[in-house]
Order: sequence, then structure tokens, then C-alpha cells
Amino acid sequence: MSLTSILSAEAIESAVKDCQEPNSFSYKKFFELCGLTSKTPQEVKDVFNILDEDNSGFIEEAELKFFLQRFVPGARTLTEAEARTFVSAADDDDDGKIGAEGLFSVVFLLGLLSRSPIMAAVSQEKQYTPSLLSFFVYNPSFGPREGEEEKKILFYHPSEVEKNEKIRNVGLCEAIVQFTRTFCPTKPAKSLHTQKNRQFFFEPEDNFWIVMIVRNPMVEKPNKDGKPPTVEYQEEEVLDTVYGAVLRQCYSMYKLFNGTFGRAMEAGGVSLLIQKLEKFFYRYLQTLHLQSCDLLDVFGGISFFPLDKMTYLKIQSFVNRVEESLSLVKYTAFLYNDQLIWSGLEQDDMRILYKYLTTSLFPRHSEPELAGRDSALRPEVAGNLLHYGRFLTGPANLKDPEAKFRFPKIFVHTEDGYEELHLIVYKAMSAAVCFMISASVELIRDFCERLDALVGPQLTLLASDICEQFTLNRRISGPDKEPQFKFIYFNHMNLAEKSTIHMRKTASVSLTSVHPDLMKILGDINCDFARVDEDEEVIVKAMTDYWVVGKKSDQRELYVILNQKNANLIEVNEEVKRLCATQFNNIFFLD
Amino acid sequence: MEDPAEPPLPGPTAVEQSATLEAEPNQNADPETEESEDVDVSAQSADIVPDEANGNNGNNGTDCSGEFVVTMLARSNLEEQAVGTEGTSSPLSEDIAEEAPPLQSHRDEDVMAESWRQHRKHVFVLSEAGKPIYSRYGSEEALSSTMGVMMALVSFVQSGDNMIRSVYSEEHTVVFLQKGPLVLVCVSNSRQSEQQLRAELLYVYYQIISMLTQASIARIFEHKKNYDLRRLLAGSEKILDGLLNLVDWDPSFLLAAVHCLPLPSSLRDSLSQTLQKAITPNLVFSILIAKNQLVTIVQEKTVIEDARLEPADVHLLLNLIGASSAFQAGEIWTPICLPLFNPDCYFYAYISYLDPPECTVCLLLLSTDKEAFYAVAECKRRIEEAMVAQNSLSLIAKAQSYSVSQVGVSDLRHFMYKPFDVPDNHHQLTQFTSPEMEAPYSSDEEKMRLLDLYRYMHSRIHSSSRPLKLIYHVAERETLLAWVTSKFELYTCFSPLVTKACAITAITKLLRWIKKEEDRLFIRYPPKYSTTPNPSKSSRKSEQQDSTDNGFMSLL
Repeated sequence: MSLTSILSAEAIESAVKDCQEPNSFSYKKFFELCGLTSKTPQEVKDVFNILDEDNSGFIEEAELKFFLQRFVPGARTLTEAEARTFVSAADDDDDGKIGAEGLFSVVFLLGLLSRSPIMAAVSQEKQYTPSLLSFFVYNPSFGPREGEEEKKILFYHPSEVEKNEKIRNVGLCEAIVQFTRTFCPTKPAKSLHTQKNRQFFFEPEDNFWIVMIVRNPMVEKPNKDGKPPTVEYQEEEVLDTVYGAVLRQCYSMYKLFNGTFGRAMEAGGVSLLIQKLEKFFYRYLQTLHLQSCDLLDVFGGISFFPLDKMTYLKIQSFVNRVEESLSLVKYTAFLYNDQLIWSGLEQDDMRILYKYLTTSLFPRHSEPELAGRDSALRPEVAGNLLHYGRFLTGPANLKDPEAKFRFPKIFVHTEDGYEELHLIVYKAMSAAVCFMISASVELIRDFCERLDALVGPQLTLLASDICEQFTLNRRISGPDKEPQFKFIYFNHMNLAEKSTIHMRKTASVSLTSVHPDLMKILGDINCDFARVDEDEEVIVKAMTDYWVVGKKSDQRELYVILNQKNANLIEVNEEVKRLCATQFNNIFFLD
Repeated sequence: MEDPAEPPLPGPTAVEQSATLEAEPNQNADPETEESEDVDVSAQSADIVPDEANGNNGNNGTDCSGEFVVTMLARSNLEEQAVGTEGTSSPLSEDIAEEAPPLQSHRDEDVMAESWRQHRKHVFVLSEAGKPIYSRYGSEEALSSTMGVMMALVSFVQSGDNMIRSVYSEEHTVVFLQKGPLVLVCVSNSRQSEQQLRAELLYVYYQIISMLTQASIARIFEHKKNYDLRRLLAGSEKILDGLLNLVDWDPSFLLAAVHCLPLPSSLRDSLSQTLQKAITPNLVFSILIAKNQLVTIVQEKTVIEDARLEPADVHLLLNLIGASSAFQAGEIWTPICLPLFNPDCYFYAYISYLDPPECTVCLLLLSTDKEAFYAVAECKRRIEEAMVAQNSLSLIAKAQSYSVSQVGVSDLRHFMYKPFDVPDNHHQLTQFTSPEMEAPYSSDEEKMRLLDLYRYMHSRIHSSSRPLKLIYHVAERETLLAWVTSKFELYTCFSPLVTKACAITAITKLLRWIKKEEDRLFIRYPPKYSTTPNPSKSSRKSEQQDSTDNGFMSLL
């Protein structure tokens, strides 16, 4: 379902146009102009569901900023003041709850538009998305004797859980794993489904188990006469493949920054390992947003930036020049707009580093940049007019005499194990470069200044080159007409992924432009493709009359969602054929 | 139909009945028999066991209505079971092992062996006390510790105010189902969906209920928590083995629909009339089965008024008959429960083959009166007479499944069609039709592969959280299409090179063909009997206008 199936495109356009100017947004006027006020409660609810991508029943304040862009992709963001007014309007009922959490709910939207009693009943139902219940790491060989079970547990979140409870939960995992070994000694359990939750098991290193417990999504229905609300667990909503991949990603991320568990054991025994796990996962788990995980987490792919040959060569020669001048640099990776252009790392290392950069490091630094662009005065530019380059890791300001020259360390594969590297991430405008330097070298101010002086101006130039090229290409391909389809593509050979479903990926949420159920259908198809090792094509028609197409050819997978409800199988087929011809050079052969 | 509130027999009926019957046929100092005293055994069942009851081998089982075999389901003594004799040890323990020859040795399997682990689908039944009740492969004794672990997992999760559902590993899916005091576990590497595996476990549970009733199982375990239910089910492993075998090979279970034998409608109607005429008080269902498929079913009107006969109950009956060659001997009178109809009380089933020694045509008469044996046997005699007069048996013998080539669509290899647009749908037995599986699905392996593909399509299209309307699946060896509308559910298998346009034309043709043949493929108007005459068939004309072009083609 799309917004234009409920609201007319012209109405939306005029509504967005009306509030073009910053601080001219008024939600009342906006809803009126786009025609929402004349819609039925059900239609309003549908609109809300489209806007509420994570299906949480709420639109978070952070999401609200991009409110207008949900209607028209090119629209401006709301200013902070506008967003705040919008949210505070939601706190009309004075319970302070919605406002306090910074949430904008469908209740408010409906209340604004109508006061139908039917909707009131619906709105009392509370929907909870899947959430992290616990996460632990254990090694059964560390406490083999009775009474010593606690020694097995190396990390447990949430830490305030009572000791016996921890031991019991770890015990269950051990029992499940042991039980499944009765039927296949080498392939033990990967997940346990219960009414209330899903548990995922992963043994990344001998005897070291990581377990993640995810609560099933649930609906809370209020009961009359003061009885506690009825809770219904939605047991089929969580996809094993997705969360299994999330769990493996947790380990990969730990390993990127800490090396293997075994390494910590060698270096400092159990106590060091416990310390490292605590330090890493305490922060990392807070960044897990389980409700917005989907097929892209299964792929864990890399989005590549499409470039013409000339610009690509420029970048390559830039990398070569820098590596030559700064001989310490061992590996380099070049990204633009959160997309990869060049990498000297091994694929698997790049994949996890890419994940870190795009979901954690870049989003943390994007805010000041956006602000900077809007304001006339840029303090850091004032001091250095030559370029826009700056360090994302390491020193925040080179001019600061107190600046620290500490960089995060990462571990990457080598032929005979691992090597530890400094990770320097340097960015100018939308271009970012990662330089990796052996950890045995101590990095000092002099080196950083040399790097800044060398890379800063060149990167600034390159960034504007790429930008120019990029907008030129965009213009050639013509104005973006709302396409009839959205797709996800993934290539297992080079990890290339491309999605027109995901609008933007940030640390907190990945916004998709389709209903979560459709995303899960994609996940189901992906799961079915894994059953056999042959080329396959699947076309399904969902209950909502959307068509979803999955194609697997050799190492490539393509998933298309078609927004043509009245199409028939043959028309769908034609549409996908056209897509394959234009976007993928006909690499998918079947029919 | 007896009121469940008033059990047919005083006291803990099923227990008594079966326990006494267990003691009855072969009294060779079975230690189990003595032990079963503690569940209140009394010599209750004499009233349904006439003195002249002639052992359990029915050596003169042709037509002498005075002599018949009384059997409580699945009776045989344990020694014979353990040895796995090939003979006719028990009325129900005859082999059904044509498809899986080594079935007889499955109980003796080494549960530590790799071959045991490799089985496609294990099924275990245990009591809440962790006592083994049934295992598909390997003896329950050898598996008692494994089953103990299963029970421990179930109760551990339960203690956290939660319920265990399943465990997934790379190769296996383990599904748990708790039903009353029983726990059923399936360990499968068939890649079937959890829902399907759970539905199969439910069939196993129902089959147990069909032998003992839900009420009596509850009563037994209330009375004694660690009761060994195998005492009551001894010998019935064959029935459960047979059921699981059928579940694997017969799509009826997947579709929850009955497959009936294609017959000219005139023949079916005359057979129905024959059954309809031979009735007696308290007779509720008269069912005629040929080649393990339904020929016709005639039902007492008032009984069926608000509860329809569920396909699952028919499946259990068919399995019961198919699982044992014992029924081929003469006449059987046995209590049986139809779990979906009423899980707590017994019907009394009269079972007799009409065409010995071939034994392909079987008559099943269900009465609510346990004393009605002679009256019901008389019905059978009348039916037999009428059928001889009409030469029905040889006509039935000619009937057979059809080939997909009769449809006349070249790329179509196989299909399964389950209609919903049947007259009086709410009271009808859900049916489906499907041709024989032919090349390239002739070998067991290929047959199972196609069935697995159907199961995969079925699980996706009927997914509980994300159901679909249509699936078109192209792979290297075949192209499949599954389609659910308000009027039917259809699964088709095409050659891999079929184009989408061809597939759609083929389906249009297929639907037309089915419409044309529906009187032959389905029981269209199941007859009922009562004091009032049959509902007139005047509605028939208007129903038939409901032809192929009812708008659903626009969906494609």
C-alpha cells in the first residue's frame, strides 16, 4: 500500500508545497490540504501505518523530522521547533505520557481528525515490537562441576538478573543443545521457539556459546472490569534467518574490535575476556534495534556507489598516491554517501567494517555536518579554508593542543590469523576514507597533520567531482518518476547489495517504504531459496494483493515488490523482465 | 450418539473395557495384565463379548453372523510384539509394510546407530510423568532417557510460565505438542513447516483418542500420574505406525480433505440408496470404502445436523481399517471414538469386507448402541444382498484413479484440487481430487519429492501470519502453482519449461475439466436418512450454473 492509493498525489504535493519554507509547517493545515481530514478512520489508520514504518504504533520524535519526506521524497526536513510543536500537540490528553516519550501516536492523529468510538476501542490495543530480553555468553567447560555453574557465564545482559535465574537460563540452553545432538551430533540447535520468545544459539568458537533471547511481538488488549489486559503473543512474526544473522553479526562486531575470544583468553585469561565482553556488549546491545531488522541483515551486504570509469580511476590513483606517501598505511577503503567505492580489505572484514561505518560511526557524525551546511559560519572552516577534511576517529580538532591521537583498533584476517590495526577514518563532505595502519606503530601528531594536509585538499576536490558526476547522471536518467516496483538485490560473490525499499539506514532505525509484512514475505522467500541449490523463481500474491517476486540465479538474488494491485501474473512477469533488462543486464535467465 | 456426560459404561469405561479385553484373548500370564489391576479392572465387558466369540483369528469369518471377532483395538501380547513375529499374532498387528519393508524391525532398532538418526521423521509420545508411550523407531525402553529429557525440557519451560514450541537445528525441526496429560514430539529432517508437523502430531493424538477416548485418558492419569499407557495401547503401535506412514504419503492429511474413489454418479447414487435403505435404530453412519478410498457415506440426519463429520475422523477410520488385515477376517464389532465429532465417547463400529478374499471393498457401520451388533450385522446382510443383485462389486472393481492425461493438457503433470463451492458446504465432508502420480514421479523418492514441494507450497500459502493468495514457483525440475480462492484450493505441477501464459491456459482448461467431471470425482450430494424424505434435488440445477466462468479467472 502506498500513500497515493489513499491520498491524491496532487493534494500531497500542494500540502508539501504549502510548507516549503522552514518553520511554516502546521500539522492541521497540512492534513487538511493533503485531504486526510476527509478520510475514514480506517484510511487514516492505513496512512499512519505507512508512516509508522517500524510498526511500533508510534512515530518517534526522531522520525518526525523526516515527516514531509515520507510524503514527497525530496521535501525538506522539519525544523526542531516544528517537530517539537507537532509532538507536544500529541500530548493533548494531558497524561504526559506520549509527550514525555517524544512519541506521536495514531491516537493523536485520529483524535485530531475524528472522535469515532470504534477507533477509540482499536487504539486501546497496544502493539509491542520484538525486543531483546537477554543476551549472554557462556562456556560450559568453565564450570563443569555442580555448584560451579556460575563460572560458565562470561557475560549476561541484563546484568541485574538474579544469579540462579542466570544459571537456569544457561542450563536450558545447554540442555537444548545437548538434546539436539542426540539426532545429529555435529549440528546442534540454532534456535528455540517458545510461546513468548525466541532463543538463538551460536557457537562461534569451540565451546563458547552466544545466546540471544528475543521476545515475540505481542498485542495487549485491555479488559473490562479492571482485569489485567490480555496479552497475545504473535509467534510467527520473528524470522529465524534474520535474528540468527543479527546474532552472528554481534560476534563479528566484537571480533572486529577485540579479536577472538581465544585471543583474550591467551592474553589475560577468563578475567580479561569477561572484561572485554562487558565493555563491548554493554554499549553494543544498546544499538541493536531488533524491531527494524530484516532481509538486509541476512545478506549483510555492501552497497556500492555507481561511478563512471574516469572518476573511478581518479579515486584509485588517489588511494595509490596516499598509500605511497604515507607508507605506514596498510589498507585503504573509500566510501561516498555511505556507499563503498574502493577497498583493499578482504571481503568479510570489509563487510563488518562497512556495517560499523554506516550504522554507527557515520550517523554519529552526520548531525554537525548537516547543521554546518545550513549555517553561514563554520568554525572549523574559518581556520582552514583549503579543505573540508576532518577526522571521524582520533583527534576531533588538530589545532587543539590537548588533542589525543588515539584511534580505535580493529582486527582483520591475515593468512595465518589476525592482525591488529589502527582505524583512521577521515571525511571530507560526503567522501570518507579509512586508513588502516599496523597497531604496532604509535601514531603521533606529526603523522596526523601530514595526513590531514595531504588528504584533506585532495579528498575535498574528489568529493565535489563525484558529487558533480552523480548529479549529472541523475539528470540524464531523467526526473524520478515513482517506479511501479521496489527491489532488493544481493550478490553473494561480491556482497553487493542494492535496495530501493530502504529509504535510509541510520543507527537507530532503518526506514523501509513497504509494509513490514511484505518485508517478511521477502524473508520467507529468501529462506525457501536456501532449501535447494538451484536457480529458482517465485512469484506470490499477498493477501493485500501486492505481488512479490523472488529470483535466484547462480549467486544472485533479486526481490521485487510490485505496486500494481490489478496486475495479473503475466503482466507482473513482464514488469520484472523489464526491470531485469534495465537494471541488471538480464543476468536472471528464468522464463 | 451417547451423551458424553453419561459414559456408555459405568465407571472408568475405557480402562475397564480394554483392560479386560486385553486379558481376554491370550491369557499367557502377562505380567502387565496383573499390574493393570491398579486401574480398576473388572470383568465388565462380558456383555459385549458373546460366549461363542472365537479367539482373535477369525478362522471362519465369512458370513456366520453368530460368530464374530470382538476386538478391542490393538490387542496382542507383549512377547509376540517383542519378537516381531510375522504371523497373525493379533488382530490388528498385521503388517502394513509394503512401502517400508523393514517396518517390523523398527522397534528393535539400535537407537545409538547412525541409521536411527537418519530417519526422516521420528515421533514420540510420552506421558507427563515422562513415561514413554510410543516411539516410531526404536523401542520405548531404549529411548526412555531421551524421552525423559524431552519431558524435562517441556516442564522446565513451563515452569517459567511459558510453553516450548520447537527447536531448530540445521538439519532437524523438533516440534512439541502438549495435549492433556500427553506430550507428543516430532523430530523431522523433512523441512516441513512447524505447523504441518504439529498437525501431524495432532493426528497421532487423535488416533490414540480414537482408541481410548479423551475422557478416559484424563481419568487414568488423574488416578495415577505415572501410569504406563502402553498397557492399554499394546499392539496398537501398528496403527500409529500406519498412520504416520499414511501421513507421509497421502496428501489427504495435508489438505484435511477426503479423497474419494471416482465413480459414475449413477453407480454412486445407487450404492448410497442401498446403504440408505439398510438402516436400523441408532445407526449413525454407513460408510463404504473401496481401495482405501471413500465410495459413499450415508448419515443419520439429526445426528449430523449441527456437527459435520470431519475429514480427520474419516482419515483415522481409514487408517484403522488399512493398518490391519485382521479386519479381513469376518466381522468386527469394536468401540471407537471419533475425536473431532466427540472426543469423550464411543461409537460402536461394525467392520466387514464385502469381497473376500480380495478384501478391497469394506463396509463400516457406526452405531451408538453397543448392543446393536446383531441388528447392524443384519443391515450388512441386506446391503450385501442388494449389491450382489446389482452387481455392484464388479462395477466398483472397475473403478480406479484417473490419469492426468485425461485432462488433456500437455504440460500438466499432476494436481490437487479441493473445492469449496459445493452444495450445502457446511455439512459436507471436505473432499479433494487428484490423479495418480505418474512419471517422472514414479519412484518413491520422486513421489516424496513432489509431495514435499506441495507441502512447502501449502505451508506458505496457509501461513498463519502471512497467508498468500497465489504462489508461482519455477525451479529446474518443475514449475508449481498454488492458488487459494474462496471457491477452491488448487496445487498444480507443470513441466519446468511451461511459460506463465501456458500455465494459465492449462489451469483454465483444468478447472473446466473438473467442473465437467465433478459428479464422478466427488460425492456431490451425500445422502442422509431419517423419517422425513431426502432433501429434494431440485436445487441441483441452480447449483450447476455455478460453472467455470464465475469471475475467478480475472484473478490471474
